[in-house]
Amino acid sequence: MLKKSVVENTLTAALETGADFAELYVEETRRNQIGMVNGAVETALGGLDYGAGLRLFFGNRVIYAFTNDTTEENLIRLAKETAATTKGAKLYALQELHRKYCRGVNPIAMYPNGVEKAKKAEYLAAASAAAFAYDSRISQTRTGFLDVTKDVLVANSLGVWAEEQRVRSRFTVEAVASSASEKQSGHQGPGGSVGFELLRQIDVEEEARKAAKTAVTMLSAKPCPAGRMPVVIDNGFGGVIFHEACGHGLEATAVARNASVFAGKLGQEIASPLVTAIDDGTIPNGWGSANMDDEGTPTRRNVLIENGVLKSYLIDKMNGRKMGMEPTGSARRENYRFAPTSRMTNTFLAPGTSTPEEIIGATRLGLYAKQMGGGSVDPATGAFNFAVLEAYMIRNGQICEPVRGATLIGKGAETLWKIDMVGNNLKRAQGMCGSISGSIPTDVGQPMIRVSEMTVGGRG
Amino acid sequence: MERSEFQKKLIGLALAEGFSDCEAYYRENRHFEVMVLEGEISDYENSGLRGVAFRGTFAGRTGYAYTERMEEEDISYLVRSAKENAVLLPESERERLYAPEEAGGCWEKINPHLEQLTAEEKVQAAKRMEAAALQGADQVVSMDYCVLGTDWTETAIQNSLGLDVCCRRNMVTAYVCAIAKAGDEVKTGAHFWKGQDWHSFDPAATGKQAAQMAASHLGAGGMASGRYGVVLEGRVMASFLRVFAPVFYGETVQKGFSLLEGKKDEKIAADCVSLRDDPLLETGYVYAPFDSEGVPCRNKSVIEKGVLKTFLYNLKSAEKDGIPSTGNGFKAGLTSPVKTAVTNFYLEPGKRSREELLAELGSGLLITDITGLHAGANTVSGDFSLSAEGFLVEKGKQSRPVEQITVAGNFYELLENILEVGSDLYFAGNGTGSPSVRVREMSVAGE
Repeated sequence: MLKKSVVENTLTAALETGADFAELYVEETRRNQIGMVNGAVETALGGLDYGAGLRLFFGNRVIYAFTNDTTEENLIRLAKETAATTKGAKLYALQELHRKYCRGVNPIAMYPNGVEKAKKAEYLAAASAAAFAYDSRISQTRTGFLDVTKDVLVANSLGVWAEEQRVRSRFTVEAVASSASEKQSGHQGPGGSVGFELLRQIDVEEEARKAAKTAVTMLSAKPCPAGRMPVVIDNGFGGVIFHEACGHGLEATAVARNASVFAGKLGQEIASPLVTAIDDGTIPNGWGSANMDDEGTPTRRNVLIENGVLKSYLIDKMNGRKMGMEPTGSARRENYRFAPTSRMTNTFLAPGTSTPEEIIGATRLGLYAKQMGGGSVDPATGAFNFAVLEAYMIRNGQICEPVRGATLIGKGAETLWKIDMVGNNLKRAQGMCGSISGSIPTDVGQPMIRVSEMTVGGRG
Repeated sequence: MERSEFQKKLIGLALAEGFSDCEAYYRENRHFEVMVLEGEISDYENSGLRGVAFRGTFAGRTGYAYTERMEEEDISYLVRSAKENAVLLPESERERLYAPEEAGGCWEKINPHLEQLTAEEKVQAAKRMEAAALQGADQVVSMDYCVLGTDWTETAIQNSLGLDVCCRRNMVTAYVCAIAKAGDEVKTGAHFWKGQDWHSFDPAATGKQAAQMAASHLGAGGMASGRYGVVLEGRVMASFLRVFAPVFYGETVQKGFSLLEGKKDEKIAADCVSLRDDPLLETGYVYAPFDSEGVPCRNKSVIEKGVLKTFLYNLKSAEKDGIPSTGNGFKAGLTSPVKTAVTNFYLEPGKRSREELLAELGSGLLITDITGLHAGANTVSGDFSLSAEGFLVEKGKQSRPVEQITVAGNFYELLENILEVGSDLYFAGNGTGSPSVRVREMSVAGE
């Protein structure tokens, strides 16, 4: 995207006042978005995001600047202005830039940028029709398709020159069911680091029916009873609790500041021995997968927790420096307007040996949380609060009546100890994760798990 | 590519590719910001962003596209992309473009002195602000925030109907938030300065004000629930005006989300209430000689002596009501479509000071801060229930601080219940402003 000489001259200018590390990140992103309401197009947007971010390290201090005027003249001016905030003599010279070999973890069959929007709209209309056809109580649908094609270059003063193209696509469907006095909704949002082929790999009509089923089921559900009880959390998006309440605490962003309950616990038992948690940025076509992170470090499979023992954090360059540890290929950012920091990629609990039937069958009275909704976590304590969008009571080892308005309350570190059954049906689901370096695509995931006791909130 | 050349080429290509009309909106912002904590730079931002948003009519439909890069190839990308977006949308949502009576012009509102300030001078000012805040009151222990920022902004719009306008402006913003402690009690106080005249900026005074505000709230207690006569400080009333501004938008009325529907030229507020939207206020935090559609902006009276004089319109909503746009068609950013927005939107000041308003109130409540407006205010019904802070008013004077209360009411009723508007006009950084106002009665939930 930029000539090598422009990058070299910018990094050299940035090192003038004694920075010990300088990095240039350049991005060109094309995005297309279509949104339908009740099967008619409501929004059709598209555009090109383009810009460069320059990051300098002076010891443990970071300075970040960004621009979307990437002429050599402007980049050098920006580098000089940014360096000038520190007064010092030049300490390090730019090392020769070497192009890195790029693996292909995300093969793309049909580049979505080349596919006509009208074609994408056909799938959305079909999904909307399928949701309406599922049940007469479906009163509204929203369907959408988003595709992003991002070209990234990372070059730094240590000689790294790494480039890749990242493509991702996502389909979303929301169905609303209405009765005389109530409205309930259900949604699905499958996606990946894939092209337009996503819409052929998944069955959009089946996804729409799943969303409609949740909405209709919850319409007739009774309020959830409150109290402490065993909770079975289903596979897929159920992993959002681990992501929010534990995953963020394993990011170096929190650990380096000692703002995590997991700080200083490497090698210690922090969870039930049934728990193995992995963050893997190399899963082929995974929503959070890439060949390299946003510092140019190759992504990898990081085992975070193995049989209950804390094995690794997610580490970026600057926090690694503060902690005295190596980066783990986990530095990510939304775009050039953000400095990168340690983030999750595709994070999931590894499968165990129990079948879903065994887990439900072994539960006398409890809650089956089939589909999780949003929630919030206090990062300092790991205390979480999540809504359950679709839930059922378990009675005598059987899934019984649906219940609505359930919330799950607990603390991440404590809940990890209470996982007493882990299923064999691992599944991942897609989400957008917001944190200090912006909003990025991440997969959450888990097999069905059982938490022996959890506080369930409800009005019943 | 230079922006004007880019705009001209873009419009030329779009017309050649079958667009019947089109518009090229350009925006550039250069931002510098330094945050100081404990006498050291703790954070720093230096950025330059520019881009073009395209909008045009193809086959009777409006299509949008944007780019942050301005090379030759990006022109054809915009045209192709907008065309593809347009054909998917219904004709009923078509947006008309502005046909100017005069060609336009360029508004140059740059203070050259601001452009010559060095980074070091800005850092020093931020450090003086922090030092003054730390010394401003005994109980101040640290800063939550101490930031100095400068902005240089250019907006330039051309369209195929002959429009060619631009405006450049620069600005300094200083913001400090001090933390005061007494025992276990913690209070924050924030103050900001925004303007173009660097010489009139006194960092020490800004810091000191934040410190005193934080300290003044220490020792706060609750108060009994009930209905009280109230004085709302200017910053509180300005927050209400900001959140409820959409009820004055033609767009909102047309969608059926404003209770002001059909009330033009009717009395909707107390006699002492006059509300203006003045985009041309030279000293205003916002300055807009034209809106995001290129329509000339003008100073207008929204409420005059309690009577609703006009709604606020963009081209599309104005067309629906069969009247000209009021020049309130603004877009939030390159990626967003044109909506409606206010500029310097403020209650006109009255004659008497805040102290005189308190003396008139006698006993009641002075509210200095409200939080939770986005969740706790319903812009459709006008109802609000908000967490508040302030001071008891006794014998016509401000007495002890009050916390942990909520005030509940209705925005439309609030407008009718204003008894007097003070002379102390305050503007929030977003351009919304108000003096202190005395209100007949509000419902307070406390102990």
